[in-house]
Amino acid sequence: MPDVKTATLRIVDGFRLDKPRRDALMPGGVLSDREGRTRQLPRYFYEVDSWEAALEHELAPHFNMWEFVQTDVREATPLRFFPRYVPCAVTLTAALLERFREAVGEPVRIAANGGYRSPQHNLTSHASTHCWASAVNIYRIGDDYLDTRERIERYAEIARDALPGAWIRPAGEDRGFSDDHLHLDFGYVVAVPHDAPGDPFNPKLEGDPL
Amino acid sequence: MTLPSALNRDRAQSLPPDLNALRQRIEALARKSEARAIAVSLHDTENGSELQYDADRWFHGASTIKVAILLAVYGEIDRGRLARQSRLHVRNRFLSAYDGSPFRVLADRDADSEVHAAIGKTMRVSELALHMIATSSNLATNLLLDLIGLETVQRTIVRFGLTGVDVRRGVEDEKAYEHGIVNRVTANGLVSLLRLIAEERAYTPELSREMLDILHQQEFKKGIPARLPREVRVAHKTGDISTVAHDAGVVYAPSRKPYVIAILSEWSADVGSRSTMIASISQLVYEGLRGSASEAANA
Repeated sequence: MPDVKTATLRIVDGFRLDKPRRDALMPGGVLSDREGRTRQLPRYFYEVDSWEAALEHELAPHFNMWEFVQTDVREATPLRFFPRYVPCAVTLTAALLERFREAVGEPVRIAANGGYRSPQHNLTSHASTHCWASAVNIYRIGDDYLDTRERIERYAEIARDALPGAWIRPAGEDRGFSDDHLHLDFGYVVAVPHDAPGDPFNPKLEGDPL
Repeated sequence: MTLPSALNRDRAQSLPPDLNALRQRIEALARKSEARAIAVSLHDTENGSELQYDADRWFHGASTIKVAILLAVYGEIDRGRLARQSRLHVRNRFLSAYDGSPFRVLADRDADSEVHAAIGKTMRVSELALHMIATSSNLATNLLLDLIGLETVQRTIVRFGLTGVDVRRGVEDEKAYEHGIVNRVTANGLVSLLRLIAEERAYTPELSREMLDILHQQEFKKGIPARLPREVRVAHKTGDISTVAHDAGVVYAPSRKPYVIAILSEWSADVGSRSTMIASISQLVYEGLRGSASEAANA
């Protein structure tokens, strides 16, 4: 088997991080969605050493890592400092966003706190797909700020055409709606790249739900 | 305009003759003006003397309440819950203090376009604090208030015993305003608040000086500083809406200790020249204090 690396960023097993980061990232842990269903969090993360690395690391032709790790003071304290950790599904999300970007033909801007957020981020509620790095909040496309129902719905329509299967938060002011961004969501995606570390296979544990 | 309460009249009688004369000049100016009400509170750190003219009357606080929010933000810095360099998502969406419904700060009503230009991105807490005071950014104010919480501001006010400052909501929360939820201040309240900062009693001397430095960067200078000599420095905060015009600050004149002053006024919405009145009262006070200092020196 040739030794082919799938990413230039180091992939880490969240179980092996120090306790403060483990507590904040909750690798392999579970969150409950709004309907009370259990959703299992990702275990493998890309390690981003510095803001410079986040700026430079290209996930897709028009999306670099920094856009997905730009959180604010509401993020859990251990995760506000580099190295930062982002679930490996971020590469798939960026690829899908690239397709959306092609459809709109304009730069697509992800809001702060609108890429990956940890389960301990103050804005996280229930099983937010932001904790899987599989959702984005887009606040601006080209020169259009997405702060009106008309604009949000116009771009939501394009997203539906370009990204079958994507979930788009409906426009509106109430809880569960959005009125100042377009929320695109690809579900609870867990990515395990080929070169992700892992536990040796143990047949005794096969089929063990725990 | 309304007349000062009997309590304040009594206080006037106990003033030293020089400040009593100053008070009479302020009263004459106020009577001649088209203002519905004018209030002045002065504390001179040179000799501890005070002048109060309707200084416990409540006014709509307008942007002067931003000083209380600044104090609370620095309280969070003091407690280690925030850092000056902490980054905050700039988002123009807030919830009304009345019913939790969302509202926005209108860009064309906000004096500061720089914070609006950062929507979607992040800004540092220190940058937002500066914009909140120096250019009176409503967006920066609501972002900081949203971050630390209204309760934190109210606890800070109680902690320092500031009885003339009442913060109950963010800025431009029209629905709350329509239902009587209003931020209020008195001239005495603002002077107490500014004295905390000027006398370096707000948390630590270092944090007090930082807040004072922000107040020194005020860009709206048509009120207290407008008719003062160029060498006089003023650390202050203005407050202007359709029916009120305020200015409150610490005045640093050469060769004397600073004085703290708040000049509050209420007007009909169609009356102009409101800042002129504040500038005139400020000039009266400056000259009155300078005059009393020379009289004291001569005596």
